[in-house]
Amino acid sequence: MIENILQGFATIFSVGPIVGIIIGVIVGIIFGAIPGISAIMAIAIMLPLTFYVEPVVGITMLLAVYKAGIYGGSISAILINTPGAAAAFLTAQDGHALTRMGKSGKALCMALYASVTGEMLSTLVLIFVAAPISLISLKAGPIERVYLLFFAFTVIGSVTGESISRGLLSTCLGMLFATVGMSSITGATRFTFGIPELMSGFTFTPMLIGVLVMPEVIIAIRQRNSAQGNLKLTVSPNPEDNRISWREYRSVLGTIIKSSGIGTFIGSLPGLGSTTAAFLAYGEARRTAKNPEKFGNGSIRGIAAAESANNAVCGAAMIPMLTLSIPGDDVTALLFGAFLIQGITPGPTIFFEHTQVIYGIFAGFLLTDFFLLFFARIGFKFWTKIASVPRYYIFPCVTIFAFAGSFTTNQNINDVLLLILFTMFGFGMRLVGLNPAAYLIGFILTPMLEQNMDQAVAIVGDNYSMYFTTPFAWIFTGLAALSVYSTIRQRKRAKVKRNDSACLEQGEAVADKV
Amino acid sequence: MNRRKIDVILSAALITVSLIILTNDKLVEGGMETELGSMFVPRLIAVFILIFSGTIGIQSLVKLKKREKLTIHEHINTTGFGGVGIYFSIFILYWLASPHLGFLVATPFVILAIAYLLGGRNWILIGIMSVIVPILIYYGCSQYLRVFLPTWSLS
Repeated sequence: MIENILQGFATIFSVGPIVGIIIGVIVGIIFGAIPGISAIMAIAIMLPLTFYVEPVVGITMLLAVYKAGIYGGSISAILINTPGAAAAFLTAQDGHALTRMGKSGKALCMALYASVTGEMLSTLVLIFVAAPISLISLKAGPIERVYLLFFAFTVIGSVTGESISRGLLSTCLGMLFATVGMSSITGATRFTFGIPELMSGFTFTPMLIGVLVMPEVIIAIRQRNSAQGNLKLTVSPNPEDNRISWREYRSVLGTIIKSSGIGTFIGSLPGLGSTTAAFLAYGEARRTAKNPEKFGNGSIRGIAAAESANNAVCGAAMIPMLTLSIPGDDVTALLFGAFLIQGITPGPTIFFEHTQVIYGIFAGFLLTDFFLLFFARIGFKFWTKIASVPRYYIFPCVTIFAFAGSFTTNQNINDVLLLILFTMFGFGMRLVGLNPAAYLIGFILTPMLEQNMDQAVAIVGDNYSMYFTTPFAWIFTGLAALSVYSTIRQRKRAKVKRNDSACLEQGEAVADKV
Repeated sequence: MNRRKIDVILSAALITVSLIILTNDKLVEGGMETELGSMFVPRLIAVFILIFSGTIGIQSLVKLKKREKLTIHEHINTTGFGGVGIYFSIFILYWLASPHLGFLVATPFVILAIAYLLGGRNWILIGIMSVIVPILIYYGCSQYLRVFLPTWSLS
């Protein structure tokens, strides 16, 4: 393994990958820092650019955008209390409190150091854990893989949606859309209605941009009359307020390591994502803190906990994707698509078929952390200024990039029509509470499900008991049932809590009247 | 807007589509015979869509009948929908016009229109951006990606 890692560093230390990482880090910070634009939008827009470069360059560039984008979200959260993503909500609480005290430099430094440490630790876990897990998952045959995929659909569908039925319906819709076109197994054309353009199914890039990116542009257009927050970095005359000292960093290092562990664990489970990780780590840090009352009022420990957990998810989220072929959230679904476009199928075989590429990507992951630390640290003022660009400059450009990105896939203007239709579809999905991430994961994994199901049926023949003799069948069915049960319980509890607080408020109102 | 009503309509539509997939054999053409068959997976998915959309539809219908109070999620805020309609109109016009006018001619108008829609009134800067961005994208696509965006074809 060490030899592979060294080989990976040898691959990454050349002009192409380094330029890719630098571009990715810069684009990621800018997009992450602009309120209303997420890292996923940046990745989706950058995706068409990676079609024409080496897999190591393209994928590391996208990963750099992802990592830097997650960090960039903390800039707007700290400076104007506008978290770019739900995961940065807690960072906003403590970070903005520090900004109000004139210590925005301290908050930004803490967020950066915690982000980089969290990311690095989870990347190390990814490097040393992914390959051994892939050895185990290689033993799974088509029957086991069918169960695994059903488990993935159930977990992702039940966890990500507004309700379990809506999440699972989103996954099913994605699965249904994936069956349009020519079947790769039988060669039959399905749901094409005589339209030859549908023979090859829906083109991935316009669908992806339409479902994930463009609804964010639509949201910006809907909110066009609301004022845009102006990012401003206040520099305190006291240098101590503008930086984090080694003593301060060392005092929160334990929290950072513990939170990174939580983030890595949560990230390696499909469907949970960075928001859950940030909230869990923050809660744990507050529970064990000597002065929990400081949390929410400008605690650097709070920022460290939330940011390290939030960023540790980045590396860990790749574990299920690279070992089990399961993208756990929307970003990994997008990266899964990027791998497929490059002709690489993420899964356990990737470590044997594309050893150099995958270890090159791992090395790129680590290198990205250094570049992120360097570029973010030297240019707090610059990023703040760039992130304050008014939205009427950004969203027209996003639209044009989306147009060009969709067109470049097949050099076909019909793909732009597909982009428009999927934008309407993605926007509609959000309105009715369906989840685009669950939809995408359903879309990506269905061809794999169909292939494995076909092979499983051929293996089993008339001996149907074979479906139930494998231990994987029971384990994955049990885990799927457990995840649905725990989600139902969790939502019921949340509902009871909401009702209780509503009753309490009503009671207080009545008492006030009396 | 009451989302429950939309839920009921959407569920009815999805149930109809699922029933069509389950009962119509003309949705698939050609292909070789396998044990699984070409329509097994789509039909399996249709069964699940039937179940989940039925669940959503029935829940919303019951709430509608009981006239339960709308939660935050069940209320669709329609503020800004006019702008969304204009944005889609601009995008559709762009799609229709660009194969004839070309990317370099059509794009500046689209940038200006969307910037205006978003409240941009700084015409000098927006004008410069509307010229530079299409040129950069066009040049980048043709030189580095070897992708040739639509060009003027009206002459």
